[in-house]
Amino acid sequence: MANEKVIDAKGIIKIYDDSGVPVHAVRGIDYTLTKGEFTAIIGPSGSGKTTFLNVITGLDSPTEGEVWLSGRLLSEMSGNELSDFRRDHIGFIFQAYNLFPVLTVEENVEYIMLLQGVPKEERHSRVISMLEKVGLADYASRLPSRLSGGQQQRVAVARAMVSKPSLVIADEPTANLDSKTSGALLDMMRQLNEDTGMTFLFSTHDEIVMKRAKKLVVLTDGKLDENNPPEEYE
Amino acid sequence: MLLKLAWRNIFRQKRRTFLTLMTMAGGFVLSSLSIGWMNGSYSSIILFFTNNRTGQIQVHHEGYLADPSIYSTIDNYEQVGLLLDSFPDVRTWAPRIYTGALLAIKPDAAAGQASNAFSNSAAASVIGIDPTREQEATGFSDQITEGEMLTASYADTSLSSTGQILLGKELAITLDASVGDSLILLSQAANGAVADKRYVVVGIVSTGNTQIDRRTSYITLLDAQNLFALEGEAHEIAILSRNFNEVDNLNTAISERLIGRNLETNSWKVFAKEFYNGMKADESSLEVMIFIIVLVAAMGVLNTVLMMVLERRREFGVMKAMGTRPGFIVRMIMLEANIMGFISILLGSIISTAGLLFLSKHGIVLDPPLDYGGTVFREMVASISPDCYWIPAVCVILTASIVSWIPALKAAHTKPAKALRTV
Ligand SMILES: Nc1ncnc2c1ncn2[C@@H]1O[C@H](COP(=O)(O)OP(=O)(O)O)[C@@H](O)[C@H]1O
Ligand SMILES: [Mg+2]
Repeated sequence: MANEKVIDAKGIIKIYDDSGVPVHAVRGIDYTLTKGEFTAIIGPSGSGKTTFLNVITGLDSPTEGEVWLSGRLLSEMSGNELSDFRRDHIGFIFQAYNLFPVLTVEENVEYIMLLQGVPKEERHSRVISMLEKVGLADYASRLPSRLSGGQQQRVAVARAMVSKPSLVIADEPTANLDSKTSGALLDMMRQLNEDTGMTFLFSTHDEIVMKRAKKLVVLTDGKLDENNPPEEYE
Repeated sequence: MLLKLAWRNIFRQKRRTFLTLMTMAGGFVLSSLSIGWMNGSYSSIILFFTNNRTGQIQVHHEGYLADPSIYSTIDNYEQVGLLLDSFPDVRTWAPRIYTGALLAIKPDAAAGQASNAFSNSAAASVIGIDPTREQEATGFSDQITEGEMLTASYADTSLSSTGQILLGKELAITLDASVGDSLILLSQAANGAVADKRYVVVGIVSTGNTQIDRRTSYITLLDAQNLFALEGEAHEIAILSRNFNEVDNLNTAISERLIGRNLETNSWKVFAKEFYNGMKADESSLEVMIFIIVLVAAMGVLNTVLMMVLERRREFGVMKAMGTRPGFIVRMIMLEANIMGFISILLGSIISTAGLLFLSKHGIVLDPPLDYGGTVFREMVASISPDCYWIPAVCVILTASIVSWIPALKAAHTKPAKALRTV
């Protein structure tokens, strides 16, 4: 079980060509992520982190290569299938929090379970326990606009995890936070990873975040940097 | 959840939502008042027109309307009348004879001076009416501006006696005749004999339609039957219905009842064809007007929905990334537009009801007065009917749905990778 592959990406190439000038954002990546990892993809701005994360979560399709996510080949899925697959298997944490502004904290966390058709009672108890885990039980009925950035991102973590996905993806989750808040958020995420065994993959170029990852993957110019082998922490 | 999301999204941009609601409600109210107004005008014009003159249904000999000949008569009209009385919706009926004659006046005839020269003469149509029935049906005496109504009991119809005649106002002017003058009526009877009789002018008639008043005179039905050798016959039976909305059904029922008598029954839509077509033409101008109102409102709504969708692009990207199906987003946006539509309908109905109630009581004075087929209307009131509500309501809902469809599809197919990149 420990070696169960959550992501298995082979020969991923992504070339953007919408402006006429082709941009080679990802230049051939083979990558596997196993269950329970808490891994950071690090690399400078423009190195292709966002592109890579989009491709392996099916938000964007690769120009070449194939992505297996929880044993399914993404390119074989139809639009609705892919939607449902993301809903059930991937939790997203965004750089800009991106909570729904018209929904309360509680409702934001509840949203994905509504899409999944989880019964009301269960939704409620899962929302409560998730909010307790991220330390925001007292803020359940607030609107996101009345929370600090760090608090909003903790709601986002709760929202991403509440549906028990196979993978939590976070693209530069701390880019909008100060270093103290960033550290606290990452400590919390790591704690949740250890408590629940949920797999985390996030990108960053922030020292504070890197230090807290269990494993680092370096991305430069659209390639995994072989000369800068991933370090194992722990 | 869908409802909650849609509802709250509407009130994110209060000012814009308010303006959109006002646009839609405004469109509703304008359409509603136009319909009420138009319906009100028409029902008053039609009712006035038919009640005062034609009736809502007429019975003639087959083909009479197309080719009105003195020989095309309803035989034994009283028997037909008895049949008509058996319909509860028939309020009353009035028989008429239509002929033409030359009317000639001798200025000194009243003074008894012998003179061979007629001072004035005019061709006129002569309508034979049953004074009692005509009064009951059309309130005929209201149109007599000078003198009196024909005497109902006037029974002396012999050619040698002096009959009573009513002249249209302009006809009296042409003939230079006034109440009390006598004149000679010259024509040909249905049997070919010369119809020639002396009459005394008992009254002047003003229908409000100068075309008619310039060429029409009236004598009693009995007199006309005798003069024109049409014993027991009539050219027309005008029927006054109790229920204007049921005229078409009544017409059908009467037609069925009169089968086999060589008679035809028509509603005002046929015998007042020009009038009816004019009305239809106006109705299509109402349709054009409502269409324009809807179009203007639709532009406003389209603008709002487009803005709404563009502003929330990022949010749709997040929804899509999280695994929301496109259909959910389409439904959410259509619901938002329709909720606004629904609120506008409620709001619009309240305002419209107030407006329609006011217009139905007070009306609008027409200055200059409206001349409709020779009949003059000075004041118009609106009438409140379900049409005033359901037509605008359907327009609002259709507009909201159609206009939000494209933006909704656009939102639903937001590419999450792109939408999330634009900060
Ligand atoms: N939609 C796009 N069209 C063209 N070029 C793009 C697009 N998205 C990203 N890029 C380019 O691809 C490269 C990788 O970008 P990105 O994946 O965002 O890197 P990172 O997340 O590491 O900053 C950059 O050079 C960027 O300018
Ligand atoms: Mg990036």
